[in-house]
Amino acid sequence: MVPALEVHNLSVRYDGAQALDNVSFRVQVGERVAVVGPNGAGKSTLFKAIVGLIHPQGGVVQTYGAEIGYVTQRSTVDWNFPVTVHDVVLMGRIGKMGWFRWQRPRDREMVRRCLAQVGMLEYANRQIGELSGGQQQRVFIARALAQEATILLMDEPFSGVDMPSQEAILALLENLREQGITILVSTHDLNLAVERFDLLALLNRQLVAFGPPRQVITPHALTAAYGGQALWRGEDYALVMGDIGCCGETRDRYD
Amino acid sequence: MTDLFESVVQPLRYPFIIRGLWASFMVGTVCAVVGAYVVLRGMAFFGDALAHAILPGIAVAYLLNVNLLVGALVMGLLTALGIGYLSRRGQIKEDTAIGVIFAACFALGVALLSTVRSYSVDLTHILFGNVLGVSDADLWLIAGLGVVVLAVVILLYKELLVISFDPVLAATLRLPQNTLHYLLLMLIALTTVISLQTVGVALMVAMLVTPAATAYLLTRRLWHMMIVGAAIGAISSVAGLYLSFYANLASGAAVVLVCTAFFLLAFLFAPRRGVVWVRMRHRR
Repeated sequence: MVPALEVHNLSVRYDGAQALDNVSFRVQVGERVAVVGPNGAGKSTLFKAIVGLIHPQGGVVQTYGAEIGYVTQRSTVDWNFPVTVHDVVLMGRIGKMGWFRWQRPRDREMVRRCLAQVGMLEYANRQIGELSGGQQQRVFIARALAQEATILLMDEPFSGVDMPSQEAILALLENLREQGITILVSTHDLNLAVERFDLLALLNRQLVAFGPPRQVITPHALTAAYGGQALWRGEDYALVMGDIGCCGETRDRYD
Repeated sequence: MTDLFESVVQPLRYPFIIRGLWASFMVGTVCAVVGAYVVLRGMAFFGDALAHAILPGIAVAYLLNVNLLVGALVMGLLTALGIGYLSRRGQIKEDTAIGVIFAACFALGVALLSTVRSYSVDLTHILFGNVLGVSDADLWLIAGLGVVVLAVVILLYKELLVISFDPVLAATLRLPQNTLHYLLLMLIALTTVISLQTVGVALMVAMLVTPAATAYLLTRRLWHMMIVGAAIGAISSVAGLYLSFYANLASGAAVVLVCTAFFLLAFLFAPRRGVVWVRMRHRR
């Protein structure tokens, strides 16, 4: 077991509010972690702190010198920007290319290899806005590969993505594990997190639970993370998530 | 055919027109290249403000009897840094910071110029350009600054692209975003200064934004956008100058109107993105 990422007593204040409170966990190389929690639980904040985009108020993030690839939420990207798929992946090479340089044949070769790995090579000359949501995610994974990242953070990669694309991304993540790439994915989909990931981090400003999904996902933990909004149906492993409506009724969203 | 040839060549008998054409050509090119970033980063208001804010620099240069472009240059760089500083501090929003500085500087410039007796004539030149008054020295200054601006854009192409497209990636790659942002502001300031004589303060923003926006509708890679924009800017500038010669129009206004005509064409007929194209696709 080789540690890839260690978060120790991490606390972050964001816009005057406590976004993360004393979060600690450890991930080994090649493990895939689903970070789950309600809106405002600090999922994005956790990722930003790991990448070093925000300074924590306390605590340490140890990444053992790893290059970190960060795939932001789709809504944060300007999809009309005049860049092609190739251009986006090439951006991952900038750190390796050095100042004042344009791409050389080996950068181009690297881009092609990374695009081939995510199955997007034939789309290299498309403008990024012409792709589907799932394809866009794969392009950004290719960019992390071009960056030679060994830790990959993906913020809500499955939101607004259809089922086949979701499966394609999950298969790709499976592939990356064999390359020793450690993956953290934030998601709203509790079922998906339980079924398809090695570890589950249940977050609500504090780390409510962390570990193998079926061990940590207890009614107690869910209530702590979601308040009254998640119900647990023990026998068939189906999770029921619902919004508490105005009159206290629970509408099933997953079954 | 000979008539057309004659009408193209005829204005070239005048050296001041040749100088004006060279100046317009260079300015049109440089503006569109830098304008690509202005359009993509939503800095049109900044560009417009900067153009107006250099007025006191020009006024002081005029009063001290030095080259007006030098005064504009100093003032342009100062304003770019000032706006950048005020908006980065975060107490007020960027467009508010721009509004405050821009109006204050412009007012100061008008006040200074109004102390000069014949200011009305010169103010018109500054506001709307005086491309036929370009001297050889101006031409060299435009060429020199233009080369510097283009060289920086080419050398820092991928860095400026990343900070514009994906600031988060730029941060994870540890690029000095603040420095690059200020550098971009200064490039816009330099561009503003060299455009002063061809289109003037009031219409300056059109040269930054319109050809680049036209190219944006026609291309899907940044460097294509820059090249196509530069071509549109250069062609519009030269065509506008001919138009002003034959139709007896104010030159800066003629150039901007030609630019706008190109933009409207692209807006309507651009493949995939033009209004007409989109309509047709919906009908099918």
